[in-house]
Amino acid sequence: MKRVFLDHNATTFPSEEVKSAVKEFSDWGNASSIHGSGRRARSKVLQSRRVVSELFKVQPGEITFTSGGSESNNIVIRGLIERLKERGRAHVITTVSEHPSVFKTLSIINENDPDVQVHFCPVSKDTGLNYDFIEKTLKEHPVGLVSVMRANNETGEVFDLKRIKSLIDENSGGEKIYFHSDMVQTLGKLSIDLKDLGVDFASFSAHKFYSLQGSGILYHKKGVGFDSQITGGGQEKGRRAGTENLLSIHCFGVQLKKLPQTGEKVQSIEKLRDSMESKLKEKLSGVSFMAQNRERLSNTSMALIEGIHGETLLMNLDLLGFEVSTGAACSSGNPEPSPVLIAMGLSPKEASQSVRISLGWETTQEDIDKFVENLVNIVQKIRDLN
Amino acid sequence: MNNSVVSKNSGKKPRVLVAMSGGVDSSVAAALLVDQGFEVIGATMQVWDYSQNPSKDTEDCDANGTCCSSDDVDDARWICDQLGIPFYVLNCEEQFKAEVIDPFVESYLSGETPIPCVNCNTFLKFSHLIQKMKELDCDYLATGHYAQVVLDKDEKPLIKTSEDGHKDQTYFLFTMNQELLPKILFPVGDMNKTEVRRVAEEKGLIVAKKKDSVGICFIGNQGYKNFIQDHATEDLFVKGSIKIYPEGDVLGTHEGLHNFTLGQRRALGVSFSEPLFVRSMDFETGDLWLSREQDLYKKTFIVRDTNFFTDMDIQKPLRVKLRYQHKGSECQITSFNDEGVAVELSESQRSITPGQAAVFYDGDLLVGGGWIESAN
Repeated sequence: MKRVFLDHNATTFPSEEVKSAVKEFSDWGNASSIHGSGRRARSKVLQSRRVVSELFKVQPGEITFTSGGSESNNIVIRGLIERLKERGRAHVITTVSEHPSVFKTLSIINENDPDVQVHFCPVSKDTGLNYDFIEKTLKEHPVGLVSVMRANNETGEVFDLKRIKSLIDENSGGEKIYFHSDMVQTLGKLSIDLKDLGVDFASFSAHKFYSLQGSGILYHKKGVGFDSQITGGGQEKGRRAGTENLLSIHCFGVQLKKLPQTGEKVQSIEKLRDSMESKLKEKLSGVSFMAQNRERLSNTSMALIEGIHGETLLMNLDLLGFEVSTGAACSSGNPEPSPVLIAMGLSPKEASQSVRISLGWETTQEDIDKFVENLVNIVQKIRDLN
Repeated sequence: MNNSVVSKNSGKKPRVLVAMSGGVDSSVAAALLVDQGFEVIGATMQVWDYSQNPSKDTEDCDANGTCCSSDDVDDARWICDQLGIPFYVLNCEEQFKAEVIDPFVESYLSGETPIPCVNCNTFLKFSHLIQKMKELDCDYLATGHYAQVVLDKDEKPLIKTSEDGHKDQTYFLFTMNQELLPKILFPVGDMNKTEVRRVAEEKGLIVAKKKDSVGICFIGNQGYKNFIQDHATEDLFVKGSIKIYPEGDVLGTHEGLHNFTLGQRRALGVSFSEPLFVRSMDFETGDLWLSREQDLYKKTFIVRDTNFFTDMDIQKPLRVKLRYQHKGSECQITSFNDEGVAVELSESQRSITPGQAAVFYDGDLLVGGGWIESAN
């Protein structure tokens, strides 16, 4: 059975270039060693860092390799919080729709540290991110950190970082307010001009961009300091100890070289996604899509299908070879209604009737046609049962 | 093993959803169905989130011995991978809390000793999973129960005890909807435990030597008293006097009826010249009645919320099991109405416990059952 993978926001499969790079890789040294093997290993890390810095138009020293998006997010939050407290600016703004590596991390700190106050900005299913909330909080509290994702992993909704940056600048009163963005979902989907977006920190992950699991990027603007969260051998200029994941970092660099050529792909994927949504609406009653009237990632579609439990739909689709998800894939295979959708104002029942379809580079028109046909059949069958 | 179901359906392979706990019985059930040519789908019901249940957070919180810990889910997943079949985790936490945990706590607080496994079968395995079975376009639902489905002379399906008398689990199945039985498969029902383990070993299933689950899955090693105390507020505890039967003298006071079970001898909190046992509990007054051992025996009892399988004669002498491990006693149903039955035993039995199920058999056929309400 040919499997049709429509879960690219969970992970992507390594590109041909990455697969070749894996096969050809031979520099298995420890990048911290002084001898030849070490030097060759170090050179791989440096090459990848150079690729990233050129693409992002930043300095190599502003890039730290981590184990992935979750670690990058944790480093920023945990690495800044004591500094914010020292400065008397331990108010943090984030949103209710963040990935758990931001949302949970800040929730735990908010709960356990009486000196920190986290303000969770509402995101509504009808009107999106509440920018007024951010402005009001900036005016009323000594905010030290704003952490807002660039695009949501479940709904694909894109947030206006430039607008948030303006709000920060207008209300900072000359004080430094750090601006972090989880950009894990954006590689190959949105342009990455970090200077233009105005962030101090940004997080990325290799496996969301057709490379290997196990490495990620933390961008940290020159001049902004943070406390290392993994201390040890002083790798990554003391910012993140631990022997580098050489193969994953190398492949990430190889794959990122393709980043400038992704524009056309974005457009064709968007066309496929939009045609899928209109076909589903045409053939099924009671179907809607989250954030459809706002800016979304070109590949993402969060469908709400009345009367159909997402879990059941997912299993039925899987048995036919179509791979989608119900919200984020981070839990232990134990699907619960997405907290993000509930925070956006859906009832637990509505949230449980969701299914996320995320397209990728290899998705074809034929895949989408077959997917739509099968999805419609399954939904009709289940509706007939009940 | 009933091989006929496969050949009956000539076109495509019949599809079966197997409820998998990660234990050896349901694993072998799945393996046998694969051998018999079914298209098999494995599923585990995630019923209890241990991470949200702080009192489970002990040294042995990951230990085997419970039927739904996260390690067990991983075992079920691994078995399905070994068998090359799909596997899904179904989130049933909400239903489990509403249908199993809450009634369990309530029952304990009211002085009963409940058996939650029946509700789990009734409301989760044979209701929620039946719905999933239909939604997944399956022809059958299979479980690892030690029980058998047989047809009587009129082709009516009935439940028969397992070939393994010691492991027989028909006690937990008296609430089954008879109409569902043609859709239910118990692949290990005609085997004994030794055979099941042998099959598991032959097939190289990783759970072949895994310990059997014991006790109530969500209680684990913390003990039911701690569980009740974690899941109820103190104002719900029924406190009162400790009295001795038949004299009626007050021997002391207690901190809640939920701390006791019928027949209990130790930790009663009173001293007396002879060994004493819990004889009964009065939810209205909070009285905990103790007695000498000979006064624990009772001969008649009332059973409520009964379910009897169609066409079974309940007026003839039957055998009744009063708790899961009970071998069964001869009995006669002396009166019955829509709400329940009154039962008289041939010989009086020790500690007939409200909250436990009374399950009736005619030979090796399950006749039906209900919940013990009171005994005299």
